[in-house]
Amino acid sequence: MSLQHRNNVHVTGSGDATLFFAHGFGCDQNMWRLMAPKYQARYRTVLFDLVGSGRSDLSAYDPKKYASLDGYAADVVELVREFAKGPAVFVGHSVSAMIGMLANIAEPRLFSAQIMIGPSPCYINDDGYVGGFSRADIESLLETLDSNYLGWSSSMAPAIMGAPEQPELSVELTNSFCRTDPEIAKQFARVTFLSDVRAQLPRLTAPTLIVQCHDDLIAPITVGEYLLRVLPRSTLKVVQNVGHCPHLSAPSASSEAIDAFLAKEGL
Amino acid sequence: MSVGQSSDDDAAWFDTAPCGLMRTTETGVFSSVNATFCAWVGRPREELVGQMRLQDLLTAGGRIFHHTHWHPLLQMQGSISEVKLDFVHRDGSTIPMVLNAVRRQRSGVVVSDLAAYVARDRDKYERELVLSRKRLEASVAEAERLQVESKDRALLAEQMIGIVSHDLRNPLSAISMGTALLGAGELSPSQKPTVARINRAAERANRLIADLLDFTQARVGTGLSVTKSAIDLHRSVADAVDELAHIYPSHAIRHERSGEGACCADVNRLAQLVGNLVSNAVAHGAPARPVTVSSVVTEHAFEVAVHNEGVPIPPEAQPTIFEAMTRGANAPTAARSVGLGLFIVKEIAKAHGGRVEVSSGPEQGTTFRAFFPRLGQ
Repeated sequence: MSLQHRNNVHVTGSGDATLFFAHGFGCDQNMWRLMAPKYQARYRTVLFDLVGSGRSDLSAYDPKKYASLDGYAADVVELVREFAKGPAVFVGHSVSAMIGMLANIAEPRLFSAQIMIGPSPCYINDDGYVGGFSRADIESLLETLDSNYLGWSSSMAPAIMGAPEQPELSVELTNSFCRTDPEIAKQFARVTFLSDVRAQLPRLTAPTLIVQCHDDLIAPITVGEYLLRVLPRSTLKVVQNVGHCPHLSAPSASSEAIDAFLAKEGL
Repeated sequence: MSVGQSSDDDAAWFDTAPCGLMRTTETGVFSSVNATFCAWVGRPREELVGQMRLQDLLTAGGRIFHHTHWHPLLQMQGSISEVKLDFVHRDGSTIPMVLNAVRRQRSGVVVSDLAAYVARDRDKYERELVLSRKRLEASVAEAERLQVESKDRALLAEQMIGIVSHDLRNPLSAISMGTALLGAGELSPSQKPTVARINRAAERANRLIADLLDFTQARVGTGLSVTKSAIDLHRSVADAVDELAHIYPSHAIRHERSGEGACCADVNRLAQLVGNLVSNAVAHGAPARPVTVSSVVTEHAFEVAVHNEGVPIPPEAQPTIFEAMTRGANAPTAARSVGLGLFIVKEIAKAHGGRVEVSSGPEQGTTFRAFFPRLGQ
């Protein structure tokens, strides 16, 4: 099975370095629509779907392999090996920021830098650490996912009502964006929100940019500050944005932060 | 209020619409809500407008869902429909609602318009559906587990039969050798029949073991083994019938032949097949009536059939008669076996690429037929 097919890989742009864009829990690579194109003139850009999301090959989804973030990190290592030309920079949103970190720790030579958008190494509060959630909150999320299962295909791929002025996606793409097999979505939710990779943080040697939203329920600012303290070579940039998706709702501010970081690192 | 200011009627209509209506800013802060929605969540308008965000009214799971699905979907698609979320009432209770939302530009500002309705019954029904699906999945998994377990158990039992039968052969051959030695020496008139009885019993036990071993080979292993060679069918069957005539001296066993031509088969297995069928015919057929064995060669096939007169096999028993452990109901106790004879007949035919059939009725009597393709096809 080709990696291209497995992870629905799209390579565009050209440049001396390669940027890998990895989406987080919930949707797929279309999350980068407003930001990735800004880099195609200067970089080779690689977009892909995590296995189990978007238009990845669902037959490649092995519940055992993807029972922890390590399974996803192994995929990232393979993708970088196959598609990187020149120095590789990994841009990961949310849970993918941690997947990128694990891949980087496993194969440090493959990566030149890590860019983390709304990262969190642990979502659950734990003895002095504020992740933002309790275990009961995560159970409540699984229930919400469950109660949207029955209408999954309709609610996740709604008919466009009226005439929204500027839908960012074509109708054809709305059919897969944010939709996946309900069982996979549930396992991915569990793996994401119950993960705790704090112990790994000090082992990340690559220069790292943390893009933190000023008001983000999923990755609160305390988490960004924690990462800045623990990651050996990190920079924190707070972006004015409410929500968890600055690449979608504040693409300019997000790419300014990324540009500054890449320039500083000479990439 | 931004909607329905043209007349008092419109305002009243907006406020008392049979669904919750809301407008929020891009970040989710309420800018307008109707009375229906306020009543549903138990909060006055002043507490919501300009003060709270849509996501503040959701359960924790709903808030995560809002961040990871709702918000990106609305931004990318411009609208979203039929999403079910739990709202938290002021008193702490939750109210399941189904929502539609459209994202619009109003004078250069992005707003979201939402409609919601309470879906308690649907929620209850859906929970039941999810629950019964989980139960169903659990019982399917349990059934599969049991099936695997019973398969394992059956396999173990059959392997056990194989091992035990094999080990019984040694003591039996010691018995047979012992009786042969005794028979060769001087015996008193009262000892002779006893030795003969021991001999016959040992032979029967040997046949039984051979059947059991064939059975386990057919069921557990790769199927019955056959070594085919070119044979003269009529002569092979005649030899088998001759032997059987010695074993069943009180029965007339006739042999009828038809057709000519080269055949290919395992001659020992063929004799075993004839032996099993004839011993059945002797045990279950009318006493003192002849048993007829026929060997027939046709253009593409050859067949061996054994016929007897007497009480027919009940029609309901015929379809399963070739299965293992199926015994004739009207068999005399002495002739009872473990019920492997016909199973082995079927397996012998199968191993030759052939098949078996039975026909039985009060007029025509009972005939078992085994068909074989010719020339080792």
